[in-house]
Amino acid sequence: MVNTIREKIKAKIGDVEVTEVSYTEKGYHLSISAIKRNLLPLVHFFDEHLFYLEDICCVDYVEYLELVYFFNNYQSLCRMKVTLQIEPEHPQAPTISHIYDGAFWYEREIHEFFGVVFENHPNMAYLFLHDGIEFYPLRKKMVLVSDEDKRLLNSFKVEVEEDTFSVNMGPQHPSTHGVLRLVLKMDGEYIESAQPVLGYLHRMHEKMAENRGYLQFLPNPGRMDYLGAMAFNLGYVTTVEKLCGIPVPERAEFVRVIAVELNRISSHLLWIGAFLADLGAFTPFLYVFDDRENILDVLESITGSRLTYCYFRFGGLYNDINESFIEMTKAFLKRMWGRFNIYENLITKNVIFINRTKNIGTIDQDRARKYGISGPVVRSARQPYDIRKVEPYAAYKELDFDIPSGEQGDNFDRYMVRIREMEISLRIIEQAIDKMPEGPFRTEKVPKKLKPPKGDVYHTVETPRGELGVYIVSDESDTPYRMRWRVPSFSNLIIFPHLARGTLMADAVSILGSLDLVIPEIDR
Amino acid sequence: MDELITILGRETVRTILGLTGTFLIVVLNTLVLTWAERKVAGHMQRRIGPKEVGPYGLLQPIADTLKLLGKEILTPRAVERPLYYLAPTIVFIPVLVSFIVIPFDSYLQVKDINVGILVILAFSSLSVLSILFAGWGSNNKYSLIGSIRSVAQNIAYEIPLLLSILPVILIANSLSLKDIVEAQKGIWFVVYQPVAFLTFFIASVAETNRTPFDLPEAESELVAGFHTEYSGMRFAFFFLAEYTNIFIVSAIATTFFLGGYQGPILPGIVWFFVKSYLLVFIILWFRWTFPRVRFDQLLNFSWKILIPVSLLNLLITGGILKI
Repeated sequence: MVNTIREKIKAKIGDVEVTEVSYTEKGYHLSISAIKRNLLPLVHFFDEHLFYLEDICCVDYVEYLELVYFFNNYQSLCRMKVTLQIEPEHPQAPTISHIYDGAFWYEREIHEFFGVVFENHPNMAYLFLHDGIEFYPLRKKMVLVSDEDKRLLNSFKVEVEEDTFSVNMGPQHPSTHGVLRLVLKMDGEYIESAQPVLGYLHRMHEKMAENRGYLQFLPNPGRMDYLGAMAFNLGYVTTVEKLCGIPVPERAEFVRVIAVELNRISSHLLWIGAFLADLGAFTPFLYVFDDRENILDVLESITGSRLTYCYFRFGGLYNDINESFIEMTKAFLKRMWGRFNIYENLITKNVIFINRTKNIGTIDQDRARKYGISGPVVRSARQPYDIRKVEPYAAYKELDFDIPSGEQGDNFDRYMVRIREMEISLRIIEQAIDKMPEGPFRTEKVPKKLKPPKGDVYHTVETPRGELGVYIVSDESDTPYRMRWRVPSFSNLIIFPHLARGTLMADAVSILGSLDLVIPEIDR
Repeated sequence: MDELITILGRETVRTILGLTGTFLIVVLNTLVLTWAERKVAGHMQRRIGPKEVGPYGLLQPIADTLKLLGKEILTPRAVERPLYYLAPTIVFIPVLVSFIVIPFDSYLQVKDINVGILVILAFSSLSVLSILFAGWGSNNKYSLIGSIRSVAQNIAYEIPLLLSILPVILIANSLSLKDIVEAQKGIWFVVYQPVAFLTFFIASVAETNRTPFDLPEAESELVAGFHTEYSGMRFAFFFLAEYTNIFIVSAIATTFFLGGYQGPILPGIVWFFVKSYLLVFIILWFRWTFPRVRFDQLLNFSWKILIPVSLLNLLITGGILKI
């Protein structure tokens, strides 16, 4: 796959520099440096070959700014890194949002953090920083924000035409799960357009990362996605391990799998409760919390915390697991297997539930690809794409599991995919406990102050919500030069305005719920 | 007492006593139902429910009432004052009037009007007015959407409600509620009219805006629907009206289909309350098991299923009676 793509790019686009890199070291197969003239043909080329847009980010190298595009393929692992150098004085780049709809938001984000203007971009309004900024926060040198840019603030206001009205749903609203705000333009009960407004929980983790050592940043990822803290913790730790070449003992790899899968089940359980609460049924919420409480107890016994875990360390774990942990996990597994029946009777077979979720919020494969959707949302659209399978990290390579997929990508499929995923997670945990080897749980002699070699690395893990990508650029100092977080909820939310258009308000609420958003993760 | 009757006349005393009794029932019923709802919800959700205030938490409703009474009465600045103030007040009138015609026992009825059913139906349609007032007067988009939904819902469900009562009237041959109960001496009408009972019950759950038909106050979409802007005692009035409504529809269903106060051994009034609260329990049960239906599904269900079914049922009943 990689070689054919490489040949084709050379034949079709011509004057681009394509270098093959070591995938195990870097996390991508080909590094392609484009120039402004051939960026669009290149992106068109990826679009034709059914690549999806994984991420767009920007790195400030002082002499020049570098836009980094990651493309990947749902069918077979083939990650492409496309770089575009632009001059730092008046940075301008062509937009790709007319090819990949998902780029619409990524480009806005780069605009407000770096001041890059994307030509022909439909709406360059700020995503996060609604209080206004004086300088671009992620630039290495102080660059003042131009007056022209400042005018883009507050450009999310809806113009109300005749026969329509606007509703501000959130930031304080029962079903926006935190502090997401949706500006809805409504025609009666029907939504004409929905515009998410982000940034109410923006803490700028990416900037924080540039100001502290690798170890010091360790607690932060858990604060981004508080429901899947374990997976975010793992994503960060494995990326740094890849960057510095730290080996991990086999026992630690298995424990990591168990911890992450337990966390995944607890996250999915909470999602079921919240989703049903969105649909107006309150009782399932307390049932799932009953189960979730068990997982929290199990994880608390080894990590010491119940929500924002920070259990993994570079080269292993914080502490080893013991017999009582194994016992508790087994007890939970036994209990959980008996619970699916209850959920099926209470929720899955309920006629009202089926009517409320079938054929609502349908996502087709191509649409999912254009928006760069990942996780259970893309799996619901007949696309069994799971990082655990295509790009196994930790001990997943040695475990046998399958990936569920839905039929048509509606709310019901997303529900079923998550239920199936919980069953699969249980099986994974069972296998991991059986295959758990003895041995050390942490690599000795990992320095406290890491000074990774110069270069960049991209690494992805499958969190409960989808694909988490961490891109770290190192300059040999003890702090990262740039750390980029590609978070799953962000790309999953981008599709919401498209899904909500023309639906009833009640359906929009259930679609929003079915995407399983965690707002602190979107806002970072 | 006798002097009082001679001075005021028998009817006046009866009415005054009846109204006092009605008011007592309304308040007591709300106290019992708030406790029952929290207890039922608790046990359905694997928890205990209130247990601290009084034995089994029985005094919890009183504590709740005191809390609501003690709250500052807030009036948002932008509200349409007359309507906003009026809504929680008039929400009670249809509820109270309905109590007048309900026979709690063979001797216990405030007034046996010979068109009792019409009184209930006419006044229950009025309850939507206060919701509309509240929605419009609050000057809040969520409230307005909630009240608009409420109007559409009430119109849609009034029809099957009426259509499922008509077969009962045909069988009993009277519009007076007491006559209807007396006609069920041997066999309850639910045996003759199971379909009418079901349609009536579903429609009345919709009339009371309870889950799965609680669209006017759908909390995940409309925050709190038509009473978003109400707090303290004003909110308590809506709360009171909601619980009284639940009891009223259960009482009416008992009267029409479950033989009212008829029953062996125990006194009639006990039978009446046992049957009514059984139905109330089922309505509470609905709330804690079902998700909410969508607005268009709600209307479709009424117009496409309930109305044709109850109409057919009426035709068949009429046909059989004629033969």
